[in-house]
Amino acid sequence: MPANEIEIRGVSKWYGDHQVLKSISTDMKRGEALVVIGPSGSGKTTLLRCINLLDDFQEGEIRIGGEAMGYTLDAAGKRVRRSETEIARMRAKLGMVFQSFNLFPHMSALKNVALGPIRVLHTPPKEAAEQARAMLARVGLADKADAMPGQLSGGQQQRVAIARALAMKPTAMLFDEVTSALDPELVAEVLDVMRQLVQEGMTMVIVTHEMSFAQAFAHRAIFMAAGEIVEQGEPAALFQDPQSRRLQAFLDRFKQGYKL
Amino acid sequence: MDLLLHSLPLLARGTITTVYLSAAAVVLATVLGIVLALLQLYGGIVLRALVEVYLYVVRGVPLLVLLFAMYYALPYANVRIEPVTGGILVIGIYFGAFMTEVFRAAVLSVPKGQWEAARAVGLTTPWILRDVVLAQAVRMAGPPFINTCVMVVKGTSLVAIIGLADVTYVGKQIVERTLAPFEIFGAVALVYFVICFALSRVGRYLEGRVNYAS
Repeated sequence: MPANEIEIRGVSKWYGDHQVLKSISTDMKRGEALVVIGPSGSGKTTLLRCINLLDDFQEGEIRIGGEAMGYTLDAAGKRVRRSETEIARMRAKLGMVFQSFNLFPHMSALKNVALGPIRVLHTPPKEAAEQARAMLARVGLADKADAMPGQLSGGQQQRVAIARALAMKPTAMLFDEVTSALDPELVAEVLDVMRQLVQEGMTMVIVTHEMSFAQAFAHRAIFMAAGEIVEQGEPAALFQDPQSRRLQAFLDRFKQGYKL
Repeated sequence: MDLLLHSLPLLARGTITTVYLSAAAVVLATVLGIVLALLQLYGGIVLRALVEVYLYVVRGVPLLVLLFAMYYALPYANVRIEPVTGGILVIGIYFGAFMTEVFRAAVLSVPKGQWEAARAVGLTTPWILRDVVLAQAVRMAGPPFINTCVMVVKGTSLVAIIGLADVTYVGKQIVERTLAPFEIFGAVALVYFVICFALSRVGRYLEGRVNYAS
């Protein structure tokens, strides 16, 4: 088994003429929690979405557990997209949690969590339901199994979404600004679950604006701007002693917050 | 009063024909609508173009003209369709275009995030369509679907002109013999009203169900 859970090598992406990712490279060790910060439009969410191929990228390579994600070389050595089935199989190994939860509104919390295992892992429905209950308990929602998403608070919905991703027994988890849509008092309950995952040794890529969380629990932080990795390192060091002017400016704006 | 009592068996038979025509046409239009909506959304460029042509033709020609075409023109092309079947076909195909719009809009109303969440879990497109997109689209489609059904029921009254004995045709026949248009057409109107009112109530109920939490 390769020591790196996720390898990102020279990934570039364009929207027409506009390059949104400029040859991004970074490796993630198993059990590492990586935080990606940066101003909006810096490409951090796009990078995350490239990892499980919700977005295509035109150059470079992303390897998950040693296997190239999304693209392969044909007999002539040309880069071709893998089949949808293959991509789906690889996506199943990565859990993803979205800013806007994206729970299936017509299914109970339990069914939201059990659907993937039933359809993708072919877990028998009864067993899948039991596992789903266990997953919901893990995120502190054992009593909400039968609730519909519309009956849950934002924080609860987001925790169900985390349980839904965990139910697939992923080798890594991707978090896309998962607390940005939450009321401030609900942020903590979601971060608690994520902290627990870090401590359990889950490999995680976390795009976030929660600097204090990043500093306290992440192993490494990447600062992106204009599609590039500008700086990276141990979070506390990075935040306290920024080397580049761009990170300095970004952090300053954060510290200032809203001032009249 | 006497007159209405005497007419009742005839009107009842006409009503049965109207209900039968409506039900069959709704089934045909619904199947067409779902299939064509999916083709239009996910089919290849050729299929999409064919569906577009069908939609434009059907929307641009009155139902009555289509019925005349079937009843008067097709025999010249040596195509003979039995009137009841023909009526169902024409009405079904005509309202199939409206149903296509109903289901297409419903599928499109499912947010992109639902697709992404399902993909992220590792579901393949057929399962996403079935478990996530269509499951929600069907609920969204409920109220406009019922609305189109009401249009189908009222639309079947046009078959009276090609001589099918639906409740409108029967009513006209009775009026010609009895010269009591108020009573008879009143009764005919009531038949349509009752059917459509019942449908609308179902629609209201479905509207409530779109809100999953309740």
